[in-house]
Formats: sequence, C-alpha cells, structure tokens
Amino acid sequence: MANTQAQNAAKATPSRETLLDIFRRMALIKQNDERFRQVIRTGRLIMPYYSTRGQEVIPACMSVNLRNDDYVCTIYRGIHDSLAKGVPVKYVWAELAGKATGTCKGKGGPMHITHPASGVMVTTGIVGSSMPIANGLAWAAQLRGESRVAVANFGDGAANIGSFHEALNLAGAWKLPVVFVCQNNRYGEHTKYEVTTPVDQIAKRAASYGMPGIHVDGNEPLAMYAAAKEAIDRARSGGGPTLIEAMTFRFHGHIMGDMDEYMPAGEKQGWIDKDPFPKYRAWLISQGHATEEALAATEAKIEKEIDEALEFALSSPEPEAIELRRDVFAQELAV
Amino acid sequence: MSSAKPVPAAGAAKPVTTIQALNMALEDAMQDDKNVLMLGEDVADREGGGVAGVTRGLSSKFGDKRVRSTPISEQAIVGAAIGAAIAGMKPVAEIMLMNFTTVCMDMIVNHAAKLRFMSGGQTGVPLTIMTMSGAGIANGGQHSDMLESWFAHVPGLKVVVPSGPAEAYGLLRSCIDDEDPCIFVEPIMVLFASGPAPQRGSRIPLGKANIVRQGTDVTVITYGKQLQEVMAAADALKDISVEVIDLRTIAPYDKETVLASVGKTKRAVIVHEAVKDFGVGAEIATQINESLFGKLAAPVHRVAGKFSPVPFARALETAFVPSKAEVEAAIRSACGKGGK
Amino acid sequence: MAFEVLLPKLDFAMAEGTVSEWFAQDGATVKAGAPLYALETGKAVQEVEAPASGTLKILVPVGEAYPVGTVLATIE
Repeated sequence: MANTQAQNAAKATPSRETLLDIFRRMALIKQNDERFRQVIRTGRLIMPYYSTRGQEVIPACMSVNLRNDDYVCTIYRGIHDSLAKGVPVKYVWAELAGKATGTCKGKGGPMHITHPASGVMVTTGIVGSSMPIANGLAWAAQLRGESRVAVANFGDGAANIGSFHEALNLAGAWKLPVVFVCQNNRYGEHTKYEVTTPVDQIAKRAASYGMPGIHVDGNEPLAMYAAAKEAIDRARSGGGPTLIEAMTFRFHGHIMGDMDEYMPAGEKQGWIDKDPFPKYRAWLISQGHATEEALAATEAKIEKEIDEALEFALSSPEPEAIELRRDVFAQELAV
Repeated sequence: MSSAKPVPAAGAAKPVTTIQALNMALEDAMQDDKNVLMLGEDVADREGGGVAGVTRGLSSKFGDKRVRSTPISEQAIVGAAIGAAIAGMKPVAEIMLMNFTTVCMDMIVNHAAKLRFMSGGQTGVPLTIMTMSGAGIANGGQHSDMLESWFAHVPGLKVVVPSGPAEAYGLLRSCIDDEDPCIFVEPIMVLFASGPAPQRGSRIPLGKANIVRQGTDVTVITYGKQLQEVMAAADALKDISVEVIDLRTIAPYDKETVLASVGKTKRAVIVHEAVKDFGVGAEIATQINESLFGKLAAPVHRVAGKFSPVPFARALETAFVPSKAEVEAAIRSACGKGGK
Repeated sequence: MAFEVLLPKLDFAMAEGTVSEWFAQDGATVKAGAPLYALETGKAVQEVEAPASGTLKILVPVGEAYPVGTVLATIE
C-alpha cells in the first residue's frame, strides 16, 4: 500500500508549468486575503471575515487537478477555494462589498460565494453541510455518465458533526465521484483538535466508509499535489470517493479580530515561521523552475487585478430593495 | 377562478387510493423526464417500494439508479437531492415521516430554501420532498406531527397538502415540474382514502385553492384530511349555507380566493389538524383581519389540533384532532347560531 | 480628496466601538500603515493603522462609542 502510494507520488510530480500554476493560485489567495484584511480595517468592508491565510497550498493543489466544470462545495472559510477554482476576483470583491455586481448580487456575502460558471456551486455557513450536497452533484455526474468530479471542502471541526458520517457513508455506498477534503487547521472555532476528537487522524475514519483515507501535509505543495491528483483521478475514473486530511493552520485565528487567547503562546508563530508561501517561492527559484523576476511579475499582476477589483467593488451600485422579492423563488414575488 | 368540483373529475376511471395516485404521478413524471429521480429509505422494489407503497414498481420500470434506496440518513438524502437539483436533475426525495424532517432541517431550511436567493439566482433547487404524517393510526408523538407551518414560515419553500387522490396526482406533478423546492405532505388518512382516478398528465397549479362547495353564509378554509370533516359538517348544517375552500397549497396560499370568499360571506372558520397555536390558521386569520376588518360579521374562528404532542391512546388521539362536531360548533358560533 | 477613516467591524458580534486613543494629533501628518488609533471593542483593544497618508482631521473624541461605519476622521 505504502509502495503504491510512493509510486503514485513519483508519477504525480507536477510539470514546471503546473508548479508555477500552483504558485500563481497560492499568491492569488494570499494577496487577496491580505488586502481583504487591510480594507476591512479601514471600515470599507463591513463583514465577518474568516481568513484563509496559511491554507493556500490545499486549494491551489486541488484546483490545478480540477477541470473548470468540476464541482466545488466549500464553507465560510472558503474564499481560497473559490479563488483557486477561478471565481473572478472582481466579482468576489463586489460580493464582499454587498454590491449588485457581486457574484450573488450582494445577496450572499462572504459566507455564500457561488459561481457555477467556475464550478463553485455552494458555499455554506453551516459546519458540515458542504459534504451531503457535494454527494448530489457527484451523483448527477455519475447518472449522466459524465467524468466530472465533486469536491467537498470542510474543516476538522466538521468531521465531528453528523452530516460527515451520513455523507461519507452514502458516498462510499454509492461509489460517488467525490473527494472529501478536510482542511485540518487544528482548531474548530476556538477549540483545539485534541479536545474534541478522540482519533489522532481524521483520515483513519475513511476506513469505516470503505474509502481510502490520505493524511497529508497540506502545507507541502508536492505532497498535497500528489494526494489531490490521486483522489481526483480515482473519482474521475469511477474508483469512488476519497477522504483527504490535509494538515494546515490558520494564521489569523477563527475570525477577523481573533485575539488568539485560546492558543498556547507561540503555537501560531511556530506555524507562521513555516509559512508555506515564501518557502515554496524560494524553492521554485532555487530549483530553477522560476526566476525572482518572473514570480514578482506574477505577484504584481495579481496586485493590479486586486486594485481594479477593489475599485470596481467600491464604485459598484448597491442592490435595490426589489431584490428582496427576487430569487426567493424562480418567479419574482408579487408586492 | 377555481372550479366548484375537485379537479379533474370528468371521465375518471374507477376509484383509486391516494397511494395509487401518487404512484401514477411518479411513474408519469419519470416517464416524461429522464431527469426525474427518486431517492429515500426503502423506495426501490427490492426494499418493498416504499413504506406505504408509493414508489412500488418504479425501480423495476426505471432502474435502481433512478429509483435509489438510501441509508437511513435524512441529511444525506436531502443533501444528495439538493446537489443533484443544482446540477439540473429533478429529484424527488422521500422522507418517510414528517417528524424525520427534524433531523435534516439544516438541509431543507438553510440550503434547499435559500441557495437560489443567496446565489443571486445562479443556482435553483427544483426538489420535491414527499413526506407523510398525521394522527389517526396510533403512531404516537414522534410519527404523527403535521409540521407544515414550520416550512410555510421559511421563504423559499412551497408547501402542498393534498386532500384526495386526484389532488395528490395533480399537485405532485406540479411540484415536480416546479423550479423551486416543494414540501409535499401526505396526510396518512388521505393516503388510504379512495376517490376518482386522476386524469393522467393533468396538473393542479400550485398556489391555487379549490372552492369545493359553494355557499353564502360562512367560508370554511381547510386542507388535507380535514376536508372530510368539514364537508360532513357542512352537509349536516342544513340551515347554514357553507362555502368550503380546500387550500391545496399552504405556501404560497391562495389569498385572493380566500379573501374573495370571506368578503362575500363575511364569516370565516379555519380548520386544520396541526396544533392551533402559531399555526397556518393564525396567519390566514390575520390576513383576513388585515384586509376585511370592519366588514366581518364575526371574529375569525379556528378549529385545530390541541396544544399537545400527538397522543397514542385512541381516546386521546381522537380528542386531539378536530372533530366534525367541533367544526359544526365553530360554524354555528361564527354564524351567531351558537348554543346547540 | 479626503479619505475617510471609518470605524471597522473587527469581531463577529461587534456593532460599535470606541476610540480609546489617537496616536496622532488633529492636524498632524500621518502615514498609511502607521498605527493611527486604538479601538476598543467589547472584547479587546486593537491598534488600527492609517488607511492613507496626509493631514489628519479628527472627528470623534476618545471615550465615546460609535456604530460600525462611523467616520472617525478624514485624511487629506
């Protein structure tokens, strides 16, 4: 088993082009997150914000293995998943600003980014609820004989809610083309993993659902890429679901404004010291995959895109009150 | 305008039960549209074709991929149905009993009902949830609740309660056609009731009530199983001309028909099995008051389930549900002919 | 054009906040990114940086609670 996985990992070494694509997606997430937080602190965006800084590697490596028409369901801490999947930056910013031009016309907000054109079908604010719905998307693909896969993102806290059990059990029983990605960032809200979870690895739970479980360093791009590829390839080829547990950490706590008082001193700093972004950036240069100039150019391009997105968001119109009567049902409500 | 008789009546073949009518509706819907799917506990023929037999024969005809028995996992059932609906399918999920919707309320209320709105209209959830319930067969407190007002309170859900076989057929076809999530409630006593067979392919539009009986003195608004008690009471009250409205759809209910009728009769009685407090009757009574205050000849009366969990003992269960005698008394009281 | 310094939402259950200290005086020149004021919420006191560079015009006194979104100052 270990041998097979090692061979798969060797086969899964990404091309230079893919390595740079992973970098671009990581930079896109990191730079947007930094700007979101900066702008929130100016009072220009008034919203609850669940930063994804520190968790960039997971969606970057998942998304380079996904097609545009593959489905993603994610959660309130999921803006990295949406950006990596390709939801246009300007529409994300406009949604965060509550503007009519946002992905959801300002009716969803940061916890409900949706963009079917990019495959982002559901962002839920309810812990655990991405998984049962991803099953249905996968079921539709299976019934139609499509080769699409569905990805359900969630955190370690969601592995302790009933829907995890129900969804993984059904996916296993029906051999659905779905990948369950547990982004284990060590805390459910403010409570440490060990306090709530009696098993040392969530990946071990996969055995009880008849599916492979992969425990992987979610801050290590090559390992994460291999895990993502293995699981997505399996789903696409009819091999059924996989549970990936990707180990990571959130650099800015549960929610913007978090004071970290529930964390042991130094724990967060220890993770920040191992920040995967500068590490991967330096590695790409040291291995000759990219030059400093090329990566800086990628970052500058993203920065410019964010500048434009911010301007677009702030200058866009507010949704009109009539929107309260629209999209409640397919047919607009009568006055 | 609504017709005076249950639709469709003309040309009906021999009587069928509501179970058979629902089975026909599902069969016809699956035949007409390959995107229509059925999932739920024991729905496939290998497992008996549903606990009440509503799905019997469907998996044999359409295959067990389209008619799929599930684990006893209501969140997983409704979640899978939502995902498939977003992907363009037309799933029908059976939640065996309405009390079991309590363990998948997150999927129904936070997701099925809201995804269209929260996505700004990008994703719709054309999902039908069929679920049976109701007092009358000694199922006790956790298998009998009529919870339609819970769902009617949630923007984004449509709620339908048929009163007989033809209604069940036409309303279920409309729910499956609909672009939005529908909660299709099957009152257990209605499931076993017989009536004229539905016309295959017919539809009863959602949001339209049916004036089952024309009258001039008082309007009785009801739905589901209680239509039987109300009709019996109306027949018994020889000195009062009773107009009877079968709502058919609870949310959105047919306000126009209700207000037009009560505007004419100036008296209203609302009858349902679900407990009275904070129920469907409270909402309708309020809307009648808001629109017709000053024109009413009597306060709006309500006859509904007692404020108690549905009891087991037959004597208590009988006392819990609205009786024909209670309906008669309420009609008399509304018409100023109280006493006896 | 004056850049408005708005009272930010920095916690989930936060509807208002109080400036407990201005780190620059009214009329002073401030630099974007440098600490500008201390914001007291129900839970904690946080330093908030200047959103732009320029001349500070303070509009609210310290010690009083204002709703999220209030213009605390302008920077010209």
